[in-house]
Amino acid sequence: MIEQIFFYIFAIIAVVSAIAVVTSKSPIHSAIALIITLLQVAAIFILLRSPFLAAVQVFVYVGAVVVLFLFAVMLLDLGGEKIKEQFHQQTVLGVISSVGLFVVLLFMLSRGSLTAPTGGYTEAVLAKNTEVIGKVLFTKYIYPFEVVSLLLLVALVGAVVLVLNQKGKDGV
Amino acid sequence: MSEKCKAKLINFVKKSVFADFIRGLYITFSYNFEGAMTLKYPDSEKWIPYRRFRGLHTLNKNSEGKELCVACELCSRACPTDCITVIPEENDAGRGIADRVAKVWEVDLTRCMFCGYCEDACPTTAVRLGREYELACTTLERGTRSRDELLLPQPVPEALTGGVVAKARFIRSADGIKVVAELGKVRQRKL
Amino acid sequence: MPELGLIIEVVLIFIKVYIVGMILFMLPLPLTWLERKVAGRIQVRLGPHRVGPKGLLQPFADMVKLLLKEDIIPDKADRFLFKLAPLLAMIPAFAVFVAIPVGDTFTIPGIDYVFKLYISDMNVGVLYVLAIGGLGIYGIIFGGWASNSKYSLLGGLRSAAQMISYEVALSFAAIGVVMMSNSLSLVEIVKSQGGGFWNWNLFYLPVGPVWFLIFFIASLAEINRIPFDLPEDEGTLGSGFHTEYSGMRFSFFMLAEYIAMVTISVLAVVFFFGGWMPPIDPATFGIKVPAQIMSVWGIGWFIAKVVVFIYIFMWIRFTLPRYRYDQLMTIGWKILIPVSLITVLVTGLMRIFLT
Repeated sequence: MIEQIFFYIFAIIAVVSAIAVVTSKSPIHSAIALIITLLQVAAIFILLRSPFLAAVQVFVYVGAVVVLFLFAVMLLDLGGEKIKEQFHQQTVLGVISSVGLFVVLLFMLSRGSLTAPTGGYTEAVLAKNTEVIGKVLFTKYIYPFEVVSLLLLVALVGAVVLVLNQKGKDGV
Repeated sequence: MSEKCKAKLINFVKKSVFADFIRGLYITFSYNFEGAMTLKYPDSEKWIPYRRFRGLHTLNKNSEGKELCVACELCSRACPTDCITVIPEENDAGRGIADRVAKVWEVDLTRCMFCGYCEDACPTTAVRLGREYELACTTLERGTRSRDELLLPQPVPEALTGGVVAKARFIRSADGIKVVAELGKVRQRKL
Repeated sequence: MPELGLIIEVVLIFIKVYIVGMILFMLPLPLTWLERKVAGRIQVRLGPHRVGPKGLLQPFADMVKLLLKEDIIPDKADRFLFKLAPLLAMIPAFAVFVAIPVGDTFTIPGIDYVFKLYISDMNVGVLYVLAIGGLGIYGIIFGGWASNSKYSLLGGLRSAAQMISYEVALSFAAIGVVMMSNSLSLVEIVKSQGGGFWNWNLFYLPVGPVWFLIFFIASLAEINRIPFDLPEDEGTLGSGFHTEYSGMRFSFFMLAEYIAMVTISVLAVVFFFGGWMPPIDPATFGIKVPAQIMSVWGIGWFIAKVVVFIYIFMWIRFTLPRYRYDQLMTIGWKILIPVSLITVLVTGLMRIFLT
């Protein structure tokens, strides 16, 4: 009961601030709203008995990714956006795809198939949450894990190559 | 080549064990034990300068207590900032060693730059720059010191070599503030 | 109706949070005094000595001065963010201390109640501390941006870049500690180092000292202290992100900075210097000491170690010059990260083959 009340508090704040992310004019205010959203998601992870994911969420997303966003925003001096610039003549496509997404979501919700069965982990096992995640990640899901890390490596190399090419053009 | 390699290697080893940092940290740590150079000047200590110090002017007397000044006005002539005023008068009341004595001997401290030319010019060593240096004042009149005041005996006697730090008392009064040194209790300054 | 034990537990948590909060609020007072005295000593002068005996009342004089100062908000500043930023800097610094243990447990004699000397022993304590500690950066970034001043903005930018670069190395150091101690909980990490100073993580040869150095350098950069205090570089940026702040808002930033210094000292002690474990345990010589005395003795050791670390931070501050910005980036990306990657490998191999 108490848990549900907390869930609704976190969820409502998360949704409201997520809306604020896309509606606020100043990119810095958007970033603040994004931080609040991510913190609420972390709180929901704790309600789901997953403190490790919550800590990582705060650590990686709030602590690093949004800082990078802010760095870019401050470096490029993005001012307040105008309404016009938000739609690059893609209004029709945008409306169609978002309406489609909502229809699918509503369909799923009405059929009640958005719930998933809980795993076979008891409270006692979940106390060693980190260990469980580690074991599963490095045994059962090792293949997707490695694929993701390879993907990140490719992105990293790509970024380095782009920067190097630019340097060559300037004659540096 | 091998010399260069060796130097590079030594440099690398030095950097990886933070040799330079440790040396710097050692130096600053050793300063902890040296004690402070700071004088607690207005509160409880005062610097007594050497005899050669050029502070407030003094007018001297000879051993019989007679004034040395003969009001020759050489000091006022030598003064680059024109801050000394001397008005002579004739007096044979036996006060001076000659008939000619100073009626007025004034120095304007707001203009004086303590160069000591008056000292050099004086034929009778009547003018000396003394060791008094607390000259701040709140009124312009106080910036001019006249003969009567300059004739008074000095707070630091001539016998004391100076160059020491004396215990002092901080006195706040209606005239302003003053730091009075207790010449009995002195210590050497750290160098 | 919940049972009595639970209610007592909850009330105790509130009391502990209150006590820790008050101690942290008061800590900057002695620390500013200490910092200025240390500075004086190192620079062969006296430091504050006129307000109160040995200048001990100087922080109070400073506090009164800061309280009475005019609170200026620049004309075109983002007023909301400008007011929010000092709080954003301060709150995470306080929140970190929820997870920090000053001792294990204290059994109150007579009623046999086990009193925990920490607010919460999370099983992800290390991650929590690093994650929340990293949030303090937002105060600096937003403060720099909201001031609408070029110096402040540059300070905020530098802070963001620096934090991103050194967070990686700091996390690697935490990974190293977790590998050496085999737990993410701070209490467990300290317990794994018990039994004498040769069991401390610092002396987990050969990787312990390397981890400690990586942690120390990265944390210096994380809390923006000299030699990495580029966000508030007086020489080039006025005073960086807090150029436009005055009065109490400025003092909140200072408060956050001092608490961050305490946090890092505490973490260094917990991670590498055995927390509340005394360097030589009487139990190894077969001497029996009552548990209560041991836990009080342990708290004493903990505070002593933290004080030594705080002194070291101040000592470094008044010894080293500031790094240039490109040097800062070189140290972060080209030295600390490769070294920590190699050390992760070595530590992992040691864990596998030596235990």
